[in-house]
Amino acid sequence: MSSGSLPKGSVIRDPGYPTASENYLTNSKGALSWIFTLDHKRIGVMYLIGVTVSFAFAGLLALLIRLHLFLPEGMIFKGAEANNYYNQVFTLHGAVMVFLFIIPSIPAALGNFLVPVMLGAKDVAFPRLNLTSFYLWCIGAIFFIAALFSTGLDTGWTFYTPYSTTTDTSVIAATMGAFILGFSSIFTGLNFIVTINTMRPPGMTWFRMPLFLWATYSTSIIQVLATPVLGITLLLLIAERTMHIGIFDPEFNGDPVTYQHFFWFYSHPAVYIMILPAFGVISDLISVHSHKRIFGYRFIAYSSIAIALLGFLVWGHHMFTAGMSPLTTIIFSALTFTVSVPSAIKVFNWIATMYKGSISLTTPMCFAIAFIFLFTIGGLTGLHLGTLATDQHLHDTYFVVAHFHYVMVGGTLIAFLGGVFHWWPKLFGKMYSEWGGRLAAVIIFIGFNLTFLPQFVLGSRGMPRRYATYDPEFAFLHQMSTYGALTLGIGLVIALVVLLASLVRGKRAPANPWGGATLEWHCTSPPPFYNFERAPVVGDPYDFSNVEWDQENERYVSTEPERKLAPEESPKSVPAHADGGH
Amino acid sequence: MMLMNLPKAFSLLGDYSEPYAWFPESASSFSEINDSLYYWITITCMVFFVPIVIALFYFAVKYNKPKGTKAESNVAHNTVLEVTWSIVPSFFLVGMFIFGAKAFLEMRDVPDGANEINVQAFKWGWTIDYGSGVFHPELHILKDEPVKLSMRSTDVIHSLYIPAFRAKKDIVPGRYNYMWFKPTVASEKVSDEELAAAIKQTKDLGESWNFDEHQFTPDGYRFYDLYCAEYCGTNHSEMQTVVVVHETLEDLNAWIKQYSKRDASVPPAEYGEKLYKNRGCAGCHSIDGTKRVGPSFAELYGRPEEMITGDKINADENYIRESILYPKAQVVAGYQPVMPSYKGQLSDDDIYSLIEYMKTLAKDGGAAK
Repeated sequence: MSSGSLPKGSVIRDPGYPTASENYLTNSKGALSWIFTLDHKRIGVMYLIGVTVSFAFAGLLALLIRLHLFLPEGMIFKGAEANNYYNQVFTLHGAVMVFLFIIPSIPAALGNFLVPVMLGAKDVAFPRLNLTSFYLWCIGAIFFIAALFSTGLDTGWTFYTPYSTTTDTSVIAATMGAFILGFSSIFTGLNFIVTINTMRPPGMTWFRMPLFLWATYSTSIIQVLATPVLGITLLLLIAERTMHIGIFDPEFNGDPVTYQHFFWFYSHPAVYIMILPAFGVISDLISVHSHKRIFGYRFIAYSSIAIALLGFLVWGHHMFTAGMSPLTTIIFSALTFTVSVPSAIKVFNWIATMYKGSISLTTPMCFAIAFIFLFTIGGLTGLHLGTLATDQHLHDTYFVVAHFHYVMVGGTLIAFLGGVFHWWPKLFGKMYSEWGGRLAAVIIFIGFNLTFLPQFVLGSRGMPRRYATYDPEFAFLHQMSTYGALTLGIGLVIALVVLLASLVRGKRAPANPWGGATLEWHCTSPPPFYNFERAPVVGDPYDFSNVEWDQENERYVSTEPERKLAPEESPKSVPAHADGGH
Repeated sequence: MMLMNLPKAFSLLGDYSEPYAWFPESASSFSEINDSLYYWITITCMVFFVPIVIALFYFAVKYNKPKGTKAESNVAHNTVLEVTWSIVPSFFLVGMFIFGAKAFLEMRDVPDGANEINVQAFKWGWTIDYGSGVFHPELHILKDEPVKLSMRSTDVIHSLYIPAFRAKKDIVPGRYNYMWFKPTVASEKVSDEELAAAIKQTKDLGESWNFDEHQFTPDGYRFYDLYCAEYCGTNHSEMQTVVVVHETLEDLNAWIKQYSKRDASVPPAEYGEKLYKNRGCAGCHSIDGTKRVGPSFAELYGRPEEMITGDKINADENYIRESILYPKAQVVAGYQPVMPSYKGQLSDDDIYSLIEYMKTLAKDGGAAK
């Protein structure tokens, strides 16, 4: 113990290390044991690999875009088809990032692994549905790749009509892909709702749930309620394209703005599918690495639910320039501002949590700090866009591009990375190089800001988005942005190398390397097949008073009062009630 | 009052030619209110952002403790504090909403007596209708006069965006969208020598007019950029034109007159070349043989072309006329049926002039056919 400070009369509770048969990674072998696994942890790991590959692919496309925009006349794509190539690359970048990475990243990859463990359950409620949702994700991904290798896709990830009903690219393959991914998302959400409602062990009340679970729960509500609308919209789009039923295409008396209403009714709540789980991750990261109770637990929990509900009312702010009636536009603007309050509450709470804490600047904490910085910029610049007059100028410019990248990349991706680094020892039982992890965090932070800060200026100066070529006066800022993207890419590669290297040469991870109090730190790293040897004792998830640093073994342990067992007396030969005591 | 002066404080940053500029030049009645709102929101954001970031990094350093140290405090909540920081930002948000909505209503409320101009957007260009048969891709308007644009699209959604006016509106096919603005700064005219030099250079190179390089129109006016802001397919980024603000009505009318119907003294082929440049043909059809969205006009006239139906058709007068009026009837193999119809937009004489111009691009001047 550090300075031998174990309080008198208490014992150490530490699960130690798992044996090979307990460890969920090694307890069964062979490819089939993974392909047909029903273990939520293995499904989580498979998702993690899937979303990482998608992210790498979409990230390379992003680099291609940035390199192309290094010169006003375009640097990468040349010749008669240059614009077409550029349009397909930015479409695929957006579609893959949104549908295959950002939406499933935290809920499906980290959520699948963590929800049952943090809850103290053995698995999710429907393990087979869980596996189904992973394979649906794979099939959806195959449709996207198929679209790429047939005739490409050049509609932008929003599939706006009537362009999407008239272009000759693979709109149907891609929308089918998104449709199938929607089911994957609904299944995951459904599973989490049922799991959290029904599988909490004794003692796990709603307000003893870690905030990650609150965030996952609110996300799941959105997934289940909003995704079907996207599914219907995409089916209608396919019907419009093939049968000209006349809903969206003005040539057949349809209205393109109807499509936008339908699309954003899903896709705006989907923005919260992307960011709410990130809030959950950050709440846990800040608290654990500050070794301090999270400030305003209930406000954070309620604000997640508030965001989930308000998120359904604001879709119209994507259409402030589409020519809706002024009254509609103003109502949507007013509603939009309401969402910023619960988001602001969370930021204040995180800062307050750090105040007078005992902060360890570990890699996850570095990512959490980066998250607060970047997400605050992302959130605040949303105000320029929610304000009607300024939005008329900024809409569809690089200002919007910068804003949503600050929220989605600076928010979701950074939280995802922070979460992966935070739970990596739990996932794989290995410690990574702290030095390498922090270096990656710093380079990613710098690269990210260098990429997207100039884009706010570009947008304010009137540079429209989705341009393959641009006016020369914008060149300087575009070049800064390209240098930033390269830096960001280097940072991400370092992060990947650090994590992969840990699998080979990392130290064995203790059960609780950071000093967390939530349940996942009470089982071994990696967890056993059924997560807990026996039903865990559920306590306050943010009570760090019993968590002590064990210098000798470089780990945190939980202490608990030594319980006096009843004295081992042999009972009287005859129970007192047996013969009436006489 | 201080609010109104803020943009001036940033005026050093406002120079368009400077790579660090924050805004494009300010040239309409909307610019000032828009920019002050923008600065006001930004400053409000800073008032919140700066303390947050200072606290964030200060706490991270100050409370950085060795492992195992207990936190100094474990306060779990403070209702007064939490309610305060939920309510105080709301006041700022209400302010932003009200001022933003007010300015927006002004942008939607067209003043009486605004000059009405019809705008047609198509893949990938603009046609501005100046009435009595004058069409031109450039938007020419009058200083200090409110202008209402009535906009329609022949194909997909476009969006008309003039950064210098801080004005933007989507153009949705199947409906008329409108926008209005009042330009406040007239475009300068460049000197005749400069214009002559640029025209000569363009002629020598045999290229089309380079707006980016010269920064003035072929008529010698400085201009504001007009972009398409809603993604509309292949050449979205080339769907740009310019806005010229004239100081006087006489100047504007003189400009319009230049582009009125063909004068009997002008040869049809020469007028056809003008139409080729002004009516959006150049966006899709090259005259040097390079393949763009549509077939090149070079050596097109009289050539037998294979259609997507498999038929072979000679590109003669009748075929060209049909392609202009009913572009989807017979499409050349290898191209998409994306051209908008020019029915009702080009007079018989216009079509005749275009065909005469295309004859000049044929190998033998079209004489043999």
